[in-house]
Amino acid sequence: MKWITARRRHPLAGYVVVIIALAFFGVGYTFVAPATSPAQAQNASAESDLANVDLANGRELFNQSCASCHGQDGKGITKTEAGNAGAWGPDLTGVGAAAVDFQVSTGRMPSANPDAQMPRKPAMYGRDDINDIAAYVDAQFGGGPGIPVNVPGDKPKRADFESEADYEEATELYQSSLEQYTGGGDTEAGMKLYMTNCAHCHSWSGGGGALTDGRWAPDLNSATPRQIYEAMLTGPGAMPVFQDSNDEVGGEGGAISSSEKQSLIKFIVDLENEPNAGGYFGLNRVGQVAEGFIGWTVGISLIVACAIWITAKQRAHD
Amino acid sequence: MSDNQAPQAPKAMRGVGNFIDDRFHLAKMGEKNLRKVFPNHWSFMLGEIALYSFIILLLSGVFLTLWFNPSMGHIVYDGSYERLRGVGMSEAYASTLHITFDVRGGLLMRQIHHWAALIFVASLVIHMLRVFFTGAFRKPREINWLIGVAIFTLAIVEGLFGYSLPDDLPSGMGLRIFQGVLLALPLIGTYASFYLFGGEFPGEVIIPRLYSLHILVIPAILLALIAAHFMILWHQKHTQYPGTGRTEKKVVGTPMFPAFAIKAGGFFFFTFAVIVGLSAFVQINPIHLFGPFTPTSITAGLQPDWYMGFLEGSLRIFPNWFDITIAGYAIPMGVLIPGLGFMGILFGGLAAWPFVEAWITGDKRPHNLADRPRNAPVRTGLGAAGITFYGLLWLAGSNDILSHTFEISLYTTTWIFRIGIFVGPVIAYIITKRICLGMQRRDRETLEHGYESGTIAQLPGGEFVEVHKESSPETVHVLESKESMTPRIETPAANANGVESPASRSLMGKLRARLADWYTRDNISFVGVEPHSGHHLHHGSHNGDGPTHGVQGSENGHGGSTASDKVTQGAGQNK
Ligand code: HEC
Ligand code: HEC
Repeated sequence: MKWITARRRHPLAGYVVVIIALAFFGVGYTFVAPATSPAQAQNASAESDLANVDLANGRELFNQSCASCHGQDGKGITKTEAGNAGAWGPDLTGVGAAAVDFQVSTGRMPSANPDAQMPRKPAMYGRDDINDIAAYVDAQFGGGPGIPVNVPGDKPKRADFESEADYEEATELYQSSLEQYTGGGDTEAGMKLYMTNCAHCHSWSGGGGALTDGRWAPDLNSATPRQIYEAMLTGPGAMPVFQDSNDEVGGEGGAISSSEKQSLIKFIVDLENEPNAGGYFGLNRVGQVAEGFIGWTVGISLIVACAIWITAKQRAHD
Repeated sequence: MSDNQAPQAPKAMRGVGNFIDDRFHLAKMGEKNLRKVFPNHWSFMLGEIALYSFIILLLSGVFLTLWFNPSMGHIVYDGSYERLRGVGMSEAYASTLHITFDVRGGLLMRQIHHWAALIFVASLVIHMLRVFFTGAFRKPREINWLIGVAIFTLAIVEGLFGYSLPDDLPSGMGLRIFQGVLLALPLIGTYASFYLFGGEFPGEVIIPRLYSLHILVIPAILLALIAAHFMILWHQKHTQYPGTGRTEKKVVGTPMFPAFAIKAGGFFFFTFAVIVGLSAFVQINPIHLFGPFTPTSITAGLQPDWYMGFLEGSLRIFPNWFDITIAGYAIPMGVLIPGLGFMGILFGGLAAWPFVEAWITGDKRPHNLADRPRNAPVRTGLGAAGITFYGLLWLAGSNDILSHTFEISLYTTTWIFRIGIFVGPVIAYIITKRICLGMQRRDRETLEHGYESGTIAQLPGGEFVEVHKESSPETVHVLESKESMTPRIETPAANANGVESPASRSLMGKLRARLADWYTRDNISFVGVEPHSGHHLHHGSHNGDGPTHGVQGSENGHGGSTASDKVTQGAGQNK
């Protein structure tokens, strides 16, 4: 402060302030001018492989990394049974391939700590292995909802492709299937469904939110459309199940038909891709709490700092 | 610049000037007002931030009214914002989208209006805190304090209504909570809600009604109150911090013209720049992302604007243990107390404080010199307690975000706040008061001994002492001003003749005496302390805080100067 105070009456001070201000706005503008985000690379290749799954491989993988908690027979291991080992897991009877695909492709399974809610992690297995495990669980422990193969799944990864050209082709394919899928949805229906069924946990922006008992609803923005669909179908953890059609009974969340799910997913995907029109700093779409925080820490603080500056006098050292 | 040095104005202008002056005698009035002085301390500029952001609010608000359509009529959107095309919404929401995407500069104006609102209320708060902590609300300024409280209250209401106008998701949710609090009113709740909303929530009339309140009624009242606030301020002048030449009668500062006017003008532009800078770079209230409100919508992660946060917080943490049912009618205390009671405590407490304090201290003198906060430790402590109470409620209003961001269990945050709002203010009070008293002790020491120079000198006898230098006359003046400001209130149980005064015998009298004692008991007395009279070797022996202590200091003071005193003198001349 002293340093500025001493120099603020310098004849050049005014020019310096103007130059700094111009630089600030210039640099600022380059940030605001929205960088057009490249088309998000996605991929639709996986479902073709569902026809030729390898059940033997599925069994092997399951016994290797899932049976310790869910049991060889898939009947689950209770906490008391597990004792000090701490490796327990629920019964997988009738959970179906969709549940396995969701849990394994979002990296939740194999779980690292069965006592806590599993965060999303990079998947431990590739697409083929996941399909194999899912098919094995579905076949062995009684069927449930299958993998919704018509919903766009994993984005293509460059590492999975030999040549750049193949990768780009797959990306384009994925992109068009994504557009086709979301293009079929209805924004208004999707918005209403989302605001009625999901927003009170996942928040209006899909940014997630706190739940009771130390649980939380995660951010939806890294989930693929298929994972969103599967989450609704299987109701992971504290989330309710939203079954496909009205005549099936059981889901606590009620039923959302598959075309309604399509609208809902369209809403989530569109909102996520929507740029923040209001400025470079979108504040993570946290909303008013972040705005208030910035209003105090940046806004009023800067103004008060200015008040201190313009009233500052060179104090005699005393 | 004195008048005879001023360059002559061109003849034509002089003619106009004389014409006006002959009729309105402005020159005389102008001269007096232009010479008005303003104190030179940053904390006196805080109210100005409020004034400037209010002006910005008015201007940007007028811009918005040119396009905003306050109607709840239902339409299907077909404007230029693609994502929501074909979605049914109210005309209010659609016209806000229109301002955002089709009106040139509309989005920037909306964001300016919103950021200015946040800054406006924030500046009211800090301005009010300054006035509180310096005791500037005391006689003769109580009325202006009340006006200030009214402005603060209205500003919050105005903000709430503005927030509700675009009819987007947070608007509707805010109104829903507002209606919930209304419904909780015993007996009249349902009627009040039906009356205001013209039927069931949300109805068709609430936005037009809020609109006329938001753009006409409340701003008009605010404007009138602000004008009154300023006229009273102009008449009474600012308080000022104690210092050389500053007395209860004489104000020292920068004259209105030109120095202060230039400063103030610059300050306006700075405030404006910060608000516009925020509006250009930081997104606020992205209504296009929120989407329109429908009565079935409900979402996590939305809060009211910050100034409503304390109400949100009190609703969130207040338990439902006290809900009762009388003759079949539910009385939801869990909504009533936090929704209305806490607001009452806050605004009622603020409004009443000047009178409560005057009653406690029995101080009926006018005050134009500001208290240094440390010299009114109980008041400062209470203020800190109030800030803590408010701040915790405010934080509690964002408990879901805190829980999610910092990965604390939601229930844990609720309990932290439930306990915190009782414990926190007490701790804040105790700590603040201690700090104030500590500073008072330091002040007395500085007054008696000068300040510690950090130089160590060796006395002829071989002893080491730290050299104390004399404080500047300014500092001495500031320190000495203490005694005149916060008199210790003695509350003798009986007067000299052993007869209890009738006033102190009544219940209220006893209460008052108690409070007065509590209010001033711990103050460090400066009575009889002579500047720079202290014996340096007594340094460090100050731990008592009885009134005798000051006297002791002065006794020592005249005890002749020692070697170290001479060192002090010598060193003093070096600066
Ligand atoms: C360390 C123990 C553990 C391991 C290893 C583990 N799981 Fe789990 N699994 C759990 C627990 C605990 C849950 C319950 C999670 C919850 O409710 O949030 C669960 C849930 C599931 C579910 C959801 C069940 C439902 O009702 O929807 C599926 C499917 C699943 N696991 C599959 C697997 C697969 C496949 C593997 C191997 C790749 C695996 N798990 C490995 C502990 C484990
Ligand atoms: C009761 C609150 C609740 C509701 C309502 C809810 N969810 Fe969830 N959701 C959760 C929780 C909790 C998880 C995390 C589950 C776990 O891993 O234990 C989750 C996980 C998800 C995931 C996985 C995210 C990821 O990246 O791993 C998706 C996708 C999802 N939910 C979508 C939805 C949709 C769509 C709806 C509305 C139809 C919805 N949820 C409604 C609580 C909820």
